[in-house]
Amino acid sequence: MPKVLIPTPLRQYAGKQDSVVLSGSTVGEVLTALTTLHADLRRQLFNDEGKLRSFVNVYLNDEDIRYLQKDATPVKDGDTVSIVPSIAGGSVAAPPEPATAELSKDEILRYSRHLIMPEVGTEGQLKLKAAKVLLVGTGGLGAPLGLYLAAAGVGRIGLVDFDVVDFTNLQRQVIHGTSDVGRKKLDSAADRMHEINPFVRIDKHEVALSSENALDILRDYDIIVDGTDNFPTRYLVNDACVLLGKPNVYGSIFRFEGQATVFAYQGGPCYRCLYPEPPPPGLVPSCAEGGVLGILPGTIGLIQATETVKLILGIGEPLVGRLLLYDALAMRFRELKLRKNPECPVCGEHPTVTKLIDYQQFCGIPKPQPEAPMTGDAGDIDPTEVKAKIDRGDKFVLIDVREPHEYQICNIPFAKLIPLGELPKHLDELNPADEIVAHCKSGMRSAKAVDLLKKNGFHARNMKGGILAWSDKVDPSVPKY
Amino acid sequence: MIRIESGPWQQMVAHAGAAYPNECCGAMLGRIDDAGKTVTIALPLENAYEGPRASRYELRPEDLLRADKEARSRNLDLVGIYHSHPDCDAYFSETDLKNSCPWYSFVVLSIRNGAFDHANSWLPDADQTKAEREELTY
Repeated sequence: MPKVLIPTPLRQYAGKQDSVVLSGSTVGEVLTALTTLHADLRRQLFNDEGKLRSFVNVYLNDEDIRYLQKDATPVKDGDTVSIVPSIAGGSVAAPPEPATAELSKDEILRYSRHLIMPEVGTEGQLKLKAAKVLLVGTGGLGAPLGLYLAAAGVGRIGLVDFDVVDFTNLQRQVIHGTSDVGRKKLDSAADRMHEINPFVRIDKHEVALSSENALDILRDYDIIVDGTDNFPTRYLVNDACVLLGKPNVYGSIFRFEGQATVFAYQGGPCYRCLYPEPPPPGLVPSCAEGGVLGILPGTIGLIQATETVKLILGIGEPLVGRLLLYDALAMRFRELKLRKNPECPVCGEHPTVTKLIDYQQFCGIPKPQPEAPMTGDAGDIDPTEVKAKIDRGDKFVLIDVREPHEYQICNIPFAKLIPLGELPKHLDELNPADEIVAHCKSGMRSAKAVDLLKKNGFHARNMKGGILAWSDKVDPSVPKY
Repeated sequence: MIRIESGPWQQMVAHAGAAYPNECCGAMLGRIDDAGKTVTIALPLENAYEGPRASRYELRPEDLLRADKEARSRNLDLVGIYHSHPDCDAYFSETDLKNSCPWYSFVVLSIRNGAFDHANSWLPDADQTKAEREELTY
């Protein structure tokens, strides 16, 4: 007959025996026989619905019956059935706050529409009040996030930003107003959030998030919301979240399209499972280069805000393992399944990234060069020098490699428009004997144009700082965009 | 009440220090009598959590089964489970509670900057809703 080994703490319910020999042809029958013989054991092993408690595993000899035939696994003479608890844990989730936290009369009134929903209720509102959420960036995504998370009563909201509000922000960063232009984004956002909800604590981190400071800043928060617009910070936030075991509520936007998901939550995939390597620098344009529909970050930021509140409340189905894609022009949402990559260098089975790295280098972004001109190269040319050349009537060709709709916003009349993408087709229109100067909006695209021209045997130089610098240094009547 | 003898205690502290900044875990074998539990052997086990182990641990049931067999063969009992909390206090976290079992003592060692700081022992309930602190001496 099969034998059941009784774990030490349960022997008191089994007549102090360390094992019991029972009859039965399946594991299920043996367990029923055991708990019939020793009724007190039943409550230890099974819950009120008669199912094995979540922490109880049953082994037949050396095998978990879940991987055999479960309850129906046949047993024979001489077999040993063992009861083994599954045990895990970790320091991540702090113990629940003592129930002393309460809502004041004013808070009860303010959060009334939350309190009357059973899914939130007083318990949920207290969870929101106890929650600590870090918003990385107070720009397009951070704006709706800050406004709504403050309104919802998230007790402590950290903001990371080191930028200043400028006019080009106002088309989408609705947390800042016209009178805030020139102020620190942190101050402007915090004032607006406090105006909406004075009960919220706001911690300002006026830094550029880096490998040196990220762990220290993120450590204090329960949930990290990524509202950044560049790859190095995105990888940095992801890796720091994985290393600290904190969920990363991710969103990204470009022109008319956006994405959102929750990374690094309860064993789910992380950003590196989706994108193990960053794209080559310059391949994916930023919003400053490619533009963005002003409303788009509102839509995506609020999806992130919704997920954040769901994680805090522990309700609904979190956006984990699913990448939500939004197309504003088609007005369609799609979902892609995301899987955890067992080979993932940071969250996989054998991680190779175990501490934060140099993310600028990882993303192929060169360290900032000193101002000195490059040696052995004609290098960049300053807009004032270009102006002087035009005024002197020097023989040279100025090409504008921006797009036609940008040319329409502002241009330098002397310049010939050849968008960067069209340049290879128009090389035969240029004379290799001529000196060529290329410009764009800020100097990035024209640098690529100059590279291309040089490879094709032209003498080309890049106008430093693009038409923005031209507006600053040569002709202030040229509008900046 | 649970008392950990000096030999196994030093082994547990060394194990937690060596695993830092990750969490370590292991089993505690010993005797249970009227005076309480006495740990005479610490059995370091592998932290099998698939993911960053700085703030999580998981015991393989197979390893626990082995620990139980080891105890039986030495005429001892499996008394409890230990694990470490790197750079935070030795509380019984929500994660600890939701993955616990009411049959054993759970000793948590707080390790700060790689060095032992303090420890607590916890007794979770069967419904995984709360854990009581147990008197711990070492």
